[in-house]
Amino acid sequence: MVWESLKLSLLVVSFATVIVGVFGLALALLLAKREFWGKELLDAVLTMPLVLPPTVTGYYLIVLLGRRGLVGSYIYDLTGWTIVFTWQGAVIAAVVVALPLMIKASRASIESVNPDYEIASYTLGKSKLETYFRITLPLAKRGILAGLVLSFARALGEFGATLMIAGNIPGRTQTMPLAIYEAVAAGDNRQAQILALMLTAISILAVYMTNKISRSQIYG
Amino acid sequence: MIELAVKKHLGDKQNSAFRLDIKFSVGEGITVLAGSSGAGKTTTLRMIAGILAPDEGFIKVGTQTYFDSSRGINLSIQMRQVGFVFQDYALFPHLTAEQNIAYGVKNSSLKREKAREMLSLFHIEPIRGQLPREMSGGEQQRVALARALASDPDIVLLDEPLSAVDVETRAKLLDEIEAVQHETAIPFIYVTHNETEAARLGTHRITLKGGSIE
Repeated sequence: MVWESLKLSLLVVSFATVIVGVFGLALALLLAKREFWGKELLDAVLTMPLVLPPTVTGYYLIVLLGRRGLVGSYIYDLTGWTIVFTWQGAVIAAVVVALPLMIKASRASIESVNPDYEIASYTLGKSKLETYFRITLPLAKRGILAGLVLSFARALGEFGATLMIAGNIPGRTQTMPLAIYEAVAAGDNRQAQILALMLTAISILAVYMTNKISRSQIYG
Repeated sequence: MIELAVKKHLGDKQNSAFRLDIKFSVGEGITVLAGSSGAGKTTTLRMIAGILAPDEGFIKVGTQTYFDSSRGINLSIQMRQVGFVFQDYALFPHLTAEQNIAYGVKNSSLKREKAREMLSLFHIEPIRGQLPREMSGGEQQRVALARALASDPDIVLLDEPLSAVDVETRAKLLDEIEAVQHETAIPFIYVTHNETEAARLGTHRITLKGGSIE
């Protein structure tokens, strides 16, 4: 149970962190740099999973992606497949709960870059896109990395929303936090202890790294 | 040759906080744009560079029309061949002196060569591998001017470029700026509120007061 759930957790968290990295960064840039109607509302909606009970987030995911869900029903009609009770469902749950952390940290960091650097880059003939990649993002690196590590840790610890949409199937959707729950319920304290210590160690390391990144003076 | 006639309202429409209404035409050499702070000097510079758009009027540099409200022309910052030296230099903090200078060189095969040429023009070869935070104020100022010139601009705009360096360095840098302008023959517009600098520099002088030319 320990190794199976560890392997599954690593699979789910790896996919989730990559997805959160790409989409979180794109959304953070959008929120930091563009003015559009409903911008702060979009931010609020994306932040919701941070404050909502994960079971509520999971419930919405079922409403959206379930076999009879708003989007899920189309997927099911077309392919005969549903994300419910699959490891991909666990990835979606992890992405949704970790995304706000990535967006918050990166947006703040992107917004703190002195706009004169970007204007200087424009006067030197560089497009907005090239300026993002060569000036803005490198200067916002600390916040982006911190957001990524926090998202990784949050995805690893995800329980409620995962249980709602992916269930608790050993070897298929039973990630480490779910395995702990099952071990305790079955009275297997030794298993629970091993898993809990592993998760604690990884989480401490992640928070330690985040602090180290945030405090490091990269460019004076 | 720079020809310019622009109007610009700053602040909200009801309380006309500040109204800029200027017209001038200058040729080669260094044009000093003098005046106390709040006179509209930086705003004028930012309109030439395309960072701000005038409400109406036109801006021409050489044969290029950068802005003309009557013909609906408003070139983007990137399309204007302008070198800008910021008051706080705005050197990219994560790039070395050489990388900062090479950043705006358009022809990528000439990047290295052009950067070396600029480093030697400003006698700053020894600091080419240094990051901005490792440089003195005078060195940062030289790198900023070198970066602006490396992109082969049609005009160089300097916004109070010496306000952050000490008096001694200032005199030396003024000489250098004059010499470099002479050597490159690119017109400079030099904004300053410092009377000594204004008196020392400049083939032409324009003094702004409260948004119009004195």
